[in-house]
Amino acid sequence: MKISRLRWTILIISFVVLIFGGLTGLYLGRFLPSFVCCYVDGHLRSGTCFLASLQSSLSYSSWESYKYLGEIFLYFSLLVILIGRAWCGWICPLGFLQDVLDLIRKKLHLGYLNFSEGIRAKLRCIKWIFLFVALLLPLWASFPAFAPSVAMEFRIPFCHLCPGKYILPMVTADFASVAVNYKNATTITLTILGLVFSALVIVGALMKRRFWCPYCPLGLLLSFYRKISFIKLKKDCQKCTMCEICYNVCPVEIQQVFKEREKEDVTFTDCTLCLKCVEYCPEDGALQATFLGKTIYKSTSKGFFRDKI
Amino acid sequence: MDQLEKRKARFVRGLVCSAETVLAELTESPDLPEGMGYFINIMKDVFVHQDKSLISTRLQRTDNQKLIGTYCIMVPEELIYAAGAIPVRLCGGSYEASSIGDELVPRDTCPVVKASVGFTSLGLISIYQICDAVIVPTTCDAKRKMGEELSKFTEVWMLEVPHIKDSEGARRQWLEHIKALKKDLEKLTGKKIRRKALQSSIRMIAGAQYEARRLYEIRKSAATVIMGREAMLALNAYSYDTALEWTKAMAGLNDELESRRDNGRVVADSNAPRVLIAGCPPIFPNWKIPSLIEEMGAVIVADESCMGSRYLYDPAGITEKSMRNMMAGIAARYLMPCVCPSFAPNEDRLYRLLQMVDEFKISGIIYHVLKGCVIYDFELIRVEKIMKEKNIPVLRIETDYSPEDIEQLRTRIEAFVEMLGTKMKKG
Repeated sequence: MKISRLRWTILIISFVVLIFGGLTGLYLGRFLPSFVCCYVDGHLRSGTCFLASLQSSLSYSSWESYKYLGEIFLYFSLLVILIGRAWCGWICPLGFLQDVLDLIRKKLHLGYLNFSEGIRAKLRCIKWIFLFVALLLPLWASFPAFAPSVAMEFRIPFCHLCPGKYILPMVTADFASVAVNYKNATTITLTILGLVFSALVIVGALMKRRFWCPYCPLGLLLSFYRKISFIKLKKDCQKCTMCEICYNVCPVEIQQVFKEREKEDVTFTDCTLCLKCVEYCPEDGALQATFLGKTIYKSTSKGFFRDKI
Repeated sequence: MDQLEKRKARFVRGLVCSAETVLAELTESPDLPEGMGYFINIMKDVFVHQDKSLISTRLQRTDNQKLIGTYCIMVPEELIYAAGAIPVRLCGGSYEASSIGDELVPRDTCPVVKASVGFTSLGLISIYQICDAVIVPTTCDAKRKMGEELSKFTEVWMLEVPHIKDSEGARRQWLEHIKALKKDLEKLTGKKIRRKALQSSIRMIAGAQYEARRLYEIRKSAATVIMGREAMLALNAYSYDTALEWTKAMAGLNDELESRRDNGRVVADSNAPRVLIAGCPPIFPNWKIPSLIEEMGAVIVADESCMGSRYLYDPAGITEKSMRNMMAGIAARYLMPCVCPSFAPNEDRLYRLLQMVDEFKISGIIYHVLKGCVIYDFELIRVEKIMKEKNIPVLRIETDYSPEDIEQLRTRIEAFVEMLGTKMKKG
């Protein structure tokens, strides 16, 4: 279980550094491809989620703001190209909290929920809706052609819906944001929805592995880089026996990896590069993770059986 | 009545004789690994001595412990062990039994089914008599109807296997069938399958698979340290042994083979053609094809038989210890990677064969078709096509369990092996 342990270690370190690293004066930037929520106390966190910066810069129609956006977008892109959605599987604080809830479920020997293909297909649109909310509503706020009072509340609309806004500050014992904002009808709606999503994510993560990740718009944004990202999940189709194990271990239930029979690159949209599939693949070299084309981790028959007998 | 008794006696004599002939042929070889003795004794107990108490002792069966007969490789042994019962695999390979079965099933049925029905109907061979229930998966047409015929003589549970693996619905349905089987087993043994018991039986089977894969690796190496006919027998013997004991013996054999390899003690010429047996499974005591191939100077380095290399190859992937996850892992193990030609589409099998050809550096394929096995014969077309692209010769051998065609087969196999030899020399 080497790779799982490594992943847990990195998740814990990242969580501490990102959420409490600010105490040491560390500040990494406002372009982190990870849920380092802007609602966590500014003295504590050591950066800001790119999605928050993206929305707020879109909501100001000034040249400075766009220039700034271009700048952080560049840094963001570089970070994502470097390790792709490994940001989600190995670093994201919300991902870490979900994994902790998942661990509790596992320790209780409770099974997990599986969504059928049909349900998964229907839910696929959610992340797109969230992304459009995050991209379009701030533009309305910057050019409030109609209903300006409503538009003004949409400077960072997704953040109000995001479970990170409510869950992450809670971890730092800050409950200020866990409340309905009664300022006006728009804020009430947004915060109520956000609270409902947060409750769903907490309960969901106790029943289903990485419950939130398939709906995350930041994850979707990250997945756009998967073709040019340095890290890739690759499959040797001839070696694959289609045993379905990779699908059963996949926290985000990606079927295409075992079904793929032609392409070598099997880094699919939802893949968080947790590499569990590689760890559990019983065939030598059927699955591997590569960095710039170099194998960094490969499935082996020996590795599969190591802890199982 | 007297007539029947005589016939039964003749049957037993015949069976003992053919089993002994095959075993003698193996034991006569000066290169037989010592570790093989254990597996040869299993076959002796079952087919030569045919003694109930001997078999029960070997299976470490306590007085009330249930014995479950299984057919094909889709019956989850993990569940049987977890319920406190013992599985034995009953697919028949005896010529004598198949002649008895000849009268009970249609003429065009394959000899595996004929022999299985023959064995069961006579009630002579103890391993068939002492089973409390027999599980028959609905794989090919013959096996499916066989279940119906067997139910005249013994308690049969049919296990429905979907024939299309790709659809999510079929997989879900399969999981439901496995869950139902779990309930039936619990009812039969009166013991509830608990999480811990299932966990340890999964571990036990994984142990057997680990050793089976070790043997597989050993056979990949260019230095031949065990003949194919021996390795195949060792795997076949798993049918009549407990997973735990078999694993121990296999570990011993593997250790011996590895030390042979390290000491350079090879049992066949390094230029000998490396043959893969594809198609229908040779089942003991029908050792006709494996014996002939190796008598002619080739080495069987791999097979894709459900009684041989494929028997214990694909493991269950368990990520957590919840009942739900374990059941899903077990269900997936028995369905998804299985490349039995009763599935369609069965493209996976072609990939598996290509991979074997690469891994084992195969020089030629003997495609074994048991008369009546339409589905393996069907897939020959595709196998021949992909192997032609890879420039790997394929020889189709259609036969049954009868010894009549042995000389004719010898000539054909001899010519094939010789051709492989010349092809290798040419480079």
